[in-house]
Amino acid sequence: MLTGKFNRKKIFRQIAIFFAILGPGIITGSVDNDAGGITTYSVAGAIYGYGLIWTLIPSFIVLLIVQEMNARMGIVTGKGLSDLIRENAGMKITFFIFIGLLLSNIGNTTTEFAGVAGSMEIFGVTKYISVPVVAVMVWFLVVKGTYKIAERIFLIFSFSLLTYVVSALMSKPQWEEIGSSIIHPQLEMNTQSFAMVIALVGTTIAPWMQFYMQSSVIEKGLKMKNYKYTLLDIAVGCVATIVVAFFIMIACGSTLHPNGIQINFAKDAALALKPLAGELASQVFAFGLFVASVFSATILPLATAFYVSEAFGFEAGIDKKWDEAKEFYILYTGILVISALIILIPNAPLIKISIWSQVLNGILLPVVLVCMILLINNKKIMGTYVNKPLQNVIGWGTVIILTGLSLMLLIMPLIS
Amino acid sequence: MTSLTTFYLSGIIGKEAFGADGDAIGIIKDLLVNAVPSGQNDPNEQLVIGVRLKIKKDIRFYSFKSFIVTKARELLNVTCTSLVELGSDEVNNGLLLVENILDKQIVDMNGRKLVRVNDVRLATLPTGTFAIAVDIGIEGLLRRIGISSFIKRILTMFKISMPSKFILWDDVQAIDHSNLNIRLSKSYSKLHTLHPSDIADILEDMGKKSSMSVFSSLDEEKAADVLEELEPHIQIHILENLPVNKAADVLEKMPADEVADILDELEDDKAEMLLKEMDIESSQEVRDLLEYDDNLVGSIMTTDYMSFSADTTVAEVLVELRAKKPESAELYNMFVTESNDELIGTFNLRDLVVSEPFLSVSDIMKSEPVSLLDNQKVSAIAEMVSKYNLLAVPVVDFNNQLQGMVVVDDVVEDLIGERRTRKRN
Repeated sequence: MLTGKFNRKKIFRQIAIFFAILGPGIITGSVDNDAGGITTYSVAGAIYGYGLIWTLIPSFIVLLIVQEMNARMGIVTGKGLSDLIRENAGMKITFFIFIGLLLSNIGNTTTEFAGVAGSMEIFGVTKYISVPVVAVMVWFLVVKGTYKIAERIFLIFSFSLLTYVVSALMSKPQWEEIGSSIIHPQLEMNTQSFAMVIALVGTTIAPWMQFYMQSSVIEKGLKMKNYKYTLLDIAVGCVATIVVAFFIMIACGSTLHPNGIQINFAKDAALALKPLAGELASQVFAFGLFVASVFSATILPLATAFYVSEAFGFEAGIDKKWDEAKEFYILYTGILVISALIILIPNAPLIKISIWSQVLNGILLPVVLVCMILLINNKKIMGTYVNKPLQNVIGWGTVIILTGLSLMLLIMPLIS
Repeated sequence: MTSLTTFYLSGIIGKEAFGADGDAIGIIKDLLVNAVPSGQNDPNEQLVIGVRLKIKKDIRFYSFKSFIVTKARELLNVTCTSLVELGSDEVNNGLLLVENILDKQIVDMNGRKLVRVNDVRLATLPTGTFAIAVDIGIEGLLRRIGISSFIKRILTMFKISMPSKFILWDDVQAIDHSNLNIRLSKSYSKLHTLHPSDIADILEDMGKKSSMSVFSSLDEEKAADVLEELEPHIQIHILENLPVNKAADVLEKMPADEVADILDELEDDKAEMLLKEMDIESSQEVRDLLEYDDNLVGSIMTTDYMSFSADTTVAEVLVELRAKKPESAELYNMFVTESNDELIGTFNLRDLVVSEPFLSVSDIMKSEPVSLLDNQKVSAIAEMVSKYNLLAVPVVDFNNQLQGMVVVDDVVEDLIGERRTRKRN
């Protein structure tokens, strides 16, 4: 009798499990392609054409390894990354990481609002309207508890990021050239191209995403038993991130680069595409930018306020009242308001802000990664699920390369 | 020097302890408090009995009796008259302030929630050194980073006082006992005094390891009540990690409909294993319920109800109730059945209380009672409950034979659940 019921369910069980588990990896992957990411990929495409597309391959591997570690830690411990860091790394390191995270994410959120402002200007809306409207909308969306719905809607909208594929195809790419540039990776030996590579890797593997990934795994209540589905989810998310990055670089590499057009913002890319690839391609690009910016502007301040609160032991969560979680709401509102205000200042040094938040990311990433690798190799925390030797080799290798890259990013401005 | 010296854990950790002759002996790594707080208001439980001292490269536990903490011009001095090593028994029964408390989550028994410890406040009296309170405020955070007094000075210029928050040691329940060998049930004894819903809320906020050890420490009755209140994915986590016999014991204490809901979420093999381990009577009830589809009345009805034959007297019913001591939900509505289980009437506690003892239930029952069919849609319940103002509705099959009852509590849960999912997801 009982088996009768269970058998009937079994038919759909496997598919159901996958769809139930689906999410953390894919959502994280989509948030990854935010305004900052789109800008970096566009600029890289405009300056170097197809020349730096090969960097997406090592980025992909590292992204996969790092996110797998986060998922494993979340599933095994049921604790957020900030909890684990606070409990094991001590107060001073915790303070450094989270103050850094707070500052860099204010910068990142500013970049998201720059994306909102830029993309809406393409459609003829001034930033003095679009930015306050989006900021207020985002604030209410989150505080009034409709955040989960918003996340789903955005997830659907994030398929619009695939519009970059359309933009890229309309730009008549030279496939042979693209192929050969991937097979024979080349890097000009100068500060500018080094900085570009660092920015590309840094924007693909942003530190705050590690925290985000781990808590969404916990929220989903995933289990080690279904780990292969989780891996699949992570892989799909990483592929989505890289595919979108790939096509943005192609779109800008096929149109802007041969014409020698230099850009500073993603918005410039959308504008520049207009005469070269047509009005539609430009608007498609701008729409993708808008969705990505709003998506990340919703998640970034909320996630940041949450992790900082978690690490410092403040009550956190949108299900709490203002009085219960004062610090959390002040942080959340503060990040949103400051970022939006910066954009509204006429002649704000947006390029500098975006560069400095990337530098901060660059310094934070190795620190966070070292904490992660130490945590995940701690038998007291992870039991039998500690890293395998190969995972450690790739993990530490990544830390060394990224630290090297970050150091170069810091030293280079001093040399040049 | 005063007889009372108060200081913070963060101020003493990493400090050098000096001998009577003024020579440095070793570095203080951790303090050991006598025992896990039990809420008995026993000052001995707050007593610092040991210190983990690093002497050259060697780290050992020494008795704190021979240590004296003094404060001179805001500077802490730790002097030690003699080094006496501590037995492993005392070490195993104590609580380490750095390892188990500092930066860790503890339960604030007054606020009934998890909080993170920023610092611990201690005091040295003539009778010894005691842990007084844990610091969970911003001041404690800033003190740990070493900028507390600086910020304080700036704030006083603007006449703002620094917000500080303390929890008395008596109101603290430590969670992390990973290094200890003490019996779990004893170490969480304070937590056990909370309401099951509060324990469930706290468990939901914990890491997987801690939630397991706290849950394992509960007795079966309490464990069943707590399990009922937990979120589904934590219920599953706990049932999958609990030894099968213990899990089955807990499930036997729960209403069959709740068990069916949980087992429905588990994997087939595990659910079957648990059902086999449970006693036959309870598992059969659950198996019957599991046959119903999720959206049918049968899936949420309970099979715990009271039914009587028509000729039973009021006095006999009361005797039976006293003997069986049913849950209050079972008294919302009681049923009168024929020998073949056919439902012929219902009566409630009020009918019973206001009637003469010699009357039979057929005299006091409402005949042709309102009832639900077991294969009716769940959505029909709410309508019926509100229309007839019922606390519990009998469920019958197509032969009008009594199968169970639906209690309003379960429906309310579902209705709120529906609203919440609509709002949140």
